[in-house]
Amino acid sequence: MIRPRLRRVAIHLFAWGLAVGWLFPFVGLTMAAFRPFPEIVGGWWNFDPFTPSFTKFVAAFNAISFGFRNSLLIAVPATIIPMSVATLAGYGFARFSFPIRDYVFLTVVLLMTIPQQMVAIPIFRIMVGLKLEDTLLSLVILHSAWGLPWIVLFMRNFFSALPKEVEEAARVDGASDLKVFFKIVLPMALPALGAVAVLQFMWVWNDFFFSLLLCPATPSCMPATVALYHTIGKFEFDPGLLAAGSILVMLVPVSLYVLLQKFYIRGMIGWTVKG
Amino acid sequence: MIRLRIEGVTRVLRRLRDRARRFFERRGSLRARKAGLRVAFFAPALLLLVLFVGYPVLATIGVSFFDANGHFVGFANYGNVLGSPDTINLNGFPKPPPYGTLINNAIWIAIHLPLSVFLGMWLALVLQEVRGAVWVKTAIFIGMVTPLVIGGIMMLYVFDGAVGIVPRFFDSIGIHALGNGWLQRPTTLLFGLIFGSVWLWTGFSLIVYSAGLTTIPKEYWEAAKIDGASTLRTFTHVTFPLLKPMTIVVVTMSILWELKIFDLVFGATSPNGGVGGAADVLAMQMYREAFVQFDSGAAAAIATFLSLLTLVATLFTIRYMVKR
Amino acid sequence: MADTGSSEGASGRSTEEYRPPSGRWKLLIAIVAVLVVTNFVTGLTAYYLAQSPAATVPLCAGGGGVRSSAAPSTSNGPSSVAAAGASPPVFTFHFEPPYHTTQATITVSPWAGAEFEGFRPVLENFTAKTGIPVTYENLRQEQLTQILPAQFASGQTPGDVIFMVSSFIKANPQHIIKETSNISDSAFIPGSLDPVKVGSDVYGGVYTGKVKPGFWYRKSFFNAHNLTVPTTYADFKALLVTISKIKGIRTPIVSGDSVGWPLSDIVEHFIATYGGASMHRALTNGTKHWTDPDVRAIFTDRLVPLLAGGCFSEPLEWNTVALTNWWHGLHALYFMGSWITGLVDNTTDLGVFSLPPPTGTSTGIVFAGDYFFIPKYTTHLTEAQQLFGYLASKDGQTIQVEQGGHIATALGVPLSDYPAVDRGVAQLMNGVQILSDLDDTIGGQFQTNFWSQLQLLWVSPGQLDAVLASIQSKMPAS
Repeated sequence: MIRPRLRRVAIHLFAWGLAVGWLFPFVGLTMAAFRPFPEIVGGWWNFDPFTPSFTKFVAAFNAISFGFRNSLLIAVPATIIPMSVATLAGYGFARFSFPIRDYVFLTVVLLMTIPQQMVAIPIFRIMVGLKLEDTLLSLVILHSAWGLPWIVLFMRNFFSALPKEVEEAARVDGASDLKVFFKIVLPMALPALGAVAVLQFMWVWNDFFFSLLLCPATPSCMPATVALYHTIGKFEFDPGLLAAGSILVMLVPVSLYVLLQKFYIRGMIGWTVKG
Repeated sequence: MIRLRIEGVTRVLRRLRDRARRFFERRGSLRARKAGLRVAFFAPALLLLVLFVGYPVLATIGVSFFDANGHFVGFANYGNVLGSPDTINLNGFPKPPPYGTLINNAIWIAIHLPLSVFLGMWLALVLQEVRGAVWVKTAIFIGMVTPLVIGGIMMLYVFDGAVGIVPRFFDSIGIHALGNGWLQRPTTLLFGLIFGSVWLWTGFSLIVYSAGLTTIPKEYWEAAKIDGASTLRTFTHVTFPLLKPMTIVVVTMSILWELKIFDLVFGATSPNGGVGGAADVLAMQMYREAFVQFDSGAAAAIATFLSLLTLVATLFTIRYMVKR
Repeated sequence: MADTGSSEGASGRSTEEYRPPSGRWKLLIAIVAVLVVTNFVTGLTAYYLAQSPAATVPLCAGGGGVRSSAAPSTSNGPSSVAAAGASPPVFTFHFEPPYHTTQATITVSPWAGAEFEGFRPVLENFTAKTGIPVTYENLRQEQLTQILPAQFASGQTPGDVIFMVSSFIKANPQHIIKETSNISDSAFIPGSLDPVKVGSDVYGGVYTGKVKPGFWYRKSFFNAHNLTVPTTYADFKALLVTISKIKGIRTPIVSGDSVGWPLSDIVEHFIATYGGASMHRALTNGTKHWTDPDVRAIFTDRLVPLLAGGCFSEPLEWNTVALTNWWHGLHALYFMGSWITGLVDNTTDLGVFSLPPPTGTSTGIVFAGDYFFIPKYTTHLTEAQQLFGYLASKDGQTIQVEQGGHIATALGVPLSDYPAVDRGVAQLMNGVQILSDLDDTIGGQFQTNFWSQLQLLWVSPGQLDAVLASIQSKMPAS
């Protein structure tokens, strides 16, 4: 029987070693971004010539800076809009009853599972028809609509788990539905809303397929992910630039995560613990 | 003339409005007005969904029955896609990849799903006793928040023959067959990307199971210990069954994710799925048909087929997730 | 499985009568099944990885080979050859549409960085001659493939003169102004205008181009090891064997790669040399099939033995790793297009030779011309046509040629205007037919599949038949 102390040490070593090892690919990427490529040929763990520099970061920033602006201009509205719209709907599904409610709700939730490819072609045609191709607005609209099913599900689950007494007390006092929602329910929902906000923002920022679909090449609307992808040219490939650009684009969602971990976790497990 | 017309119309509308108001007031006014207001809760969401999700889904299904020139061809697109060696390529199996997109997705599920589920579960159990576990979990979870296309680009660096960790590692321990760039050979490309996706996505199952473990009351474990159960039996009889709801969620989300995978493969290879199409997946096949070949019918058929697969995969579990 | 209580847990539940779930056997079976499946799949993997093809008689496993993929032994840091990749692609763009400025034509093309610096004097000369200002916008071919259809469909265009692959021009004449007065076949090298003709109507113009002449080598390397340019195929093979024995050489030929186009260049060269210009053309327009015996013979008799014999390296990133390693002596030969002269420091050290043709075959050399067109939706038609005529004439092309790395299509550009290295390439064009790049001409899904299948062929030469079948299956039905 292994002594408990030894076992504890072993487990700690293993866990921490695992964490470090898990981050190795990120370290490799960082090395490729900071060090000239010929230096790391053979392995970045060779520090024999070690000449880090920021040149690639500057170059990457110049190459894709417009992408950051666009991603922000897309992600912020595409978070606020579906959040507001879907919270209303989620509350409706949780509290109001009408004959076809469950069927409608089920349909909405099923829409969550379809692949992005399923709507790609018609959406492209719609946006061209609305003369919105290659605009930020088209991506905002698409992402808002696409985010609705999961947010509706999430908020509806949250609301149905809230105790009804407070709302009913307010209704007895004569408050209208809207007042109950805005003055009583919504303040209680802030933690859930926080989780929804960070997750939706992250998913819109990280999206690639829809961005590639609606804005493949126009700098005025191209988000950061697509801009980064375009640095992989057919004829010119700069691995250091690509690595630096990747780190820059990655930095936003990763730092958001590190700062707002609680909300991410809450969001991720929102489907399970709350039934 | 027009001015008069407009005034006339507004007058009519106003009269209609007053009549409607009186009509509703007569019929249990408060309830009816409430009903109207309640519709407002749903209206914006349903509008957006119908216009930009619902209609496109139906339109895609419709498009799938036409060919590239706009002629109606019934199920021909589906037949062509499913019969094409791009989709299923098992002639002369056992053989190395390419296997076709459908098989690739299936292999992806077969490997990624059990690995990430069990790895996440096991790590959640182990990390219960580790101090500072939250940082370990953070490190493992970062893969989930990075854009997947960047995950694919990272695969370029990790598996590169000259600078990648993985080939250098295998080379140094003497397995030279794996010491070359993994992305240049079909077998290592496919499996390299699959293991890469496990690395990226295990964080999800880890977090879900960790949270789930905190909801299991200690009494269950104490009871098992009192009964004299060994660690393994405790696991199979207590922990695993109690984690069933989490398992269902993780399994569902993983299968969905593996069926829909696109960004990762696109970032790591090319619109053709790498060497000989060895890492091609259904979503990328759809992208190629739609935007390289400009055959919307075939692309729509692939998309619809993929949606059917995701639908089937979630049917069993969606009930659970929606349950009150 | 039996329910053992909700996940929310009730803290007050009695702990005495805990009963394990009855479905434990089902659980065990499920776990075992899953483990079996994953192990089976992993086992197959190991099986295939262990089967990396070892040729029975490795032609080029000379013994001078360096095993590991470690860095080249030069310790003086990154050579300036790597400067090829050092300047990041400069992406010039405009936020407000410049389309409607008066008196300006917009040229849209895929060149950036160093390549654009070579193009700029041409535009400046045009402006000096005609007084028409030209603005330049850099958009890569992949981007143009996405933007142009949408913009044309709504009657707009991102430029007045657009450089694009010939397959696009050929497929979209409805959006392009037909050229009637500006150019005629006789002013160009024979075959130059074919890729942009629909029937006998010309829809695009041809600029300079890059040739894919053959294998490049460093003259200093050849001199140091007493190597000579081969004149027959047997000579070529013997040369490869000799090179493979030289100390420090990993493989005699280095294969460049990015998405696969350098490999397709090599294959086309083999076909054009040993199948002749006629076979190359027949394959391009679909009259011959990739699975035909004579086409297949070129692979089985010539290319596959070299691949299986280890004479080619595995595909490496073409303008970083491959170029650097070749320049530093890890490889001797590099098949590349004539733009390589713009990527190395010391062009006087560059030599090139084509594959030795069999006697009596009329061979071809793949010439990748840059094609351009005027879209119907331009708002500066007369200015655009002037620029068009200028670019398609020897006036404009001479200036480009002087910058190095380009070969003119317009006749009448004197050989003396070419820099020394390019002169040698231009001379290789004598007596040879011009062919257009096969995969660029066909385009579409054929091209991307062609590339990825060739990547497969390079690492698994034994799969030749599957590769040829797949390539043929994506040929457009004609």
